Amino acid sequence: MAQEQFYGEISDAIVNLDKEKAIELANRAVTENLNLLEVIEKGFGDGIRRIGDLWEEGEFFLPELMLGGRIMQESMNILLPSLKESETSASRGVIVIATIEGDIHSIGKTIVGTMLSANGFDVYDLGADVPAEKIIETAVEKNADVIGVSALLTTTMFGQKKIIDILEERGIRDNFKVIIGGAPVTREWTEECNADGFAGSAIEAVKLVKHLLNK
Amino acid sequence: MLFHDWLNDSSKIILFDGGMGSEVFKRGIKPGKLPDTLNIEQPDVIIDIHKSYYIAGADMCQSNTFGSSFINLKNYKLEDRIREINLGGLENIKKACPPNHLIVADIGPSGEFRPPVGKASPDQWISSFEKQATLLEAGVDLWHIETMSDIEEMKAALEAVRIISKKPIISSMTYKKTKKGFYTIMGDSLEKCAQIQEDQDADVIGANCTLGSDQMVDLMKDLKHLTDKPISIKPNAGQPRINSDNIAVYDQPIKDFVNDIGEMIQLGAKIVGGCCGTSPATIKEIRKLIDSLEN
Repeated sequence: MAQEQFYGEISDAIVNLDKEKAIELANRAVTENLNLLEVIEKGFGDGIRRIGDLWEEGEFFLPELMLGGRIMQESMNILLPSLKESETSASRGVIVIATIEGDIHSIGKTIVGTMLSANGFDVYDLGADVPAEKIIETAVEKNADVIGVSALLTTTMFGQKKIIDILEERGIRDNFKVIIGGAPVTREWTEECNADGFAGSAIEAVKLVKHLLNK
Repeated sequence: MLFHDWLNDSSKIILFDGGMGSEVFKRGIKPGKLPDTLNIEQPDVIIDIHKSYYIAGADMCQSNTFGSSFINLKNYKLEDRIREINLGGLENIKKACPPNHLIVADIGPSGEFRPPVGKASPDQWISSFEKQATLLEAGVDLWHIETMSDIEEMKAALEAVRIISKKPIISSMTYKKTKKGFYTIMGDSLEKCAQIQEDQDADVIGANCTLGSDQMVDLMKDLKHLTDKPISIKPNAGQPRINSDNIAVYDQPIKDFVNDIGEMIQLGAKIVGGCCGTSPATIKEIRKLIDSLEN
C-alpha cells in the first residue's frame, strides 16, 4: 500500500509538471532499492499516460506534453543506470527510432522513444530529418529488433515505405519489425508499406512493440 | 482601396481561393519537396493554379509563399534562395490576376516552436518574417498570415509585417476542437487569440486549416461573439485519407462544404474560401452561392 502511494506521488509529480519533486522521488527510489521497473511502469509511466490522456481530452497542450516528456527523461537518467546494473533488467529489445528525412517534426517520435525506454527497451533515438539509409545502417549496427519511423507530413510519409523497400532489396527485411507513426499514417498506408504495424499514440506504440516482440 | 471598399460594403461577401497542395499533385507533381520551390522550377504550374481559382470566381488569391519565411526555408536548406522563391511567387500570381481582383501575400508558420517545445525566440521569428515581407511588399494588395498554431508566433508575424507595410492584414490561426472549446495546440483559447489579434490591430481575424467545414461552423458561432472585426474562414474539406497513389484525398462532397460555408456566411463570415482538399470546383460552387445571396 505504501508503495502504491509512492507510485501515486510520482505519477502526480509528472502530471503536475513538478520537476524537483519527480527527481527527488527518482533518487529516493534508487537509494531505497525499490523495484525500479515497477517504479517506472506504475509511477513515471502512469504519469506520462495521464498526460497523454489529458492531451487527448484537450486539457493539456504541446508545452505540457513536452515538459512532461522532459521531466520523465531527466528522471529516467537517474533510474536507468541503476536499472542496468541489476540482473532483473535485461533489455526487452532494441529499438531504433527516427523522424524521416525531410520532416522536422520530432515531438511525437520523442515521446514514443521515451515511453519505450521507460518500458525497458533500449532506444536509439536518431532525431528528426534522418535519411532512410542512416536509419537502416544504425538498425543493423545495433542489431535492433524494431525500427520505428515517424512522419508528420503527407509529403514525407513515403520515406516510411522507402525504408521497407531498401530492407527488402538488401534481403534483410525479416531481421526487423518495422513500425510507423505520425498524423497522416493510417492502417491502409501501413498495409501498403508492408510495415508490421502503426500506432496513433505513444501508449499504443508501446503496446504494439510489446505485442510484436511477444513481451 | 478595393479591399477596404469590399470590407465596408455590407452586402459584399469576399471570396478567397482554395487549397494549393492538392492542385499541385493533380498536375502530376510528385510529393516530397517544398511546394514553394515550384515558383522558380515550374512557374507555369503555379500560374495555372492561380488562374483556375480566379476563373472559378475568387475575388482574391494568395501567393504560393506559405513556406517561404527565412526560418522555414532554412529548415529545407533553401535560405539562400529566399529572394528568388518569394519574388518568383509574386511574379506568378501577378501574371494570373485579372483586373479588379486582388493579390494576397501568403505567410505561413516558421516551423520552429518557442520553448519548451522548440527553441525559437520572438526576435528570430520577427526577423524571419520581416525578410519575407520585405520581398513581397511591392506587388501585393494585402496579407494573409495563416495556419499559426502559436499566438506568440502570430504576434511576431503581425509585428514584422507592420514594420514594413501599411496594407491590410488577415490574421488566421489554426485550432483544434476540444471538450472545452477551440484551442491552438499550444493551448491558446479562441478568446485569447481573438483578443491578441485585435490588440495587434489585425484588420481581419480568421481561422483556417485543421478543422473541417462542419467544425468550422461551430468555431464561427463562438468567434462572432469574441470580435467586432470582419471574420475570414478557410476550412479543410473534411479529414484526409491516403489513396493508392500515396496522395492525401478529401472525400467530403463539395455540396456539403458549400452548405457549411453558407451557414458561416449567415453567421457573419465576411471572407470565405477553402484550405486543404478544396479546389477551383469548390470555389466555383461557393461563387454561385454568394451570387445567389447578393441578388
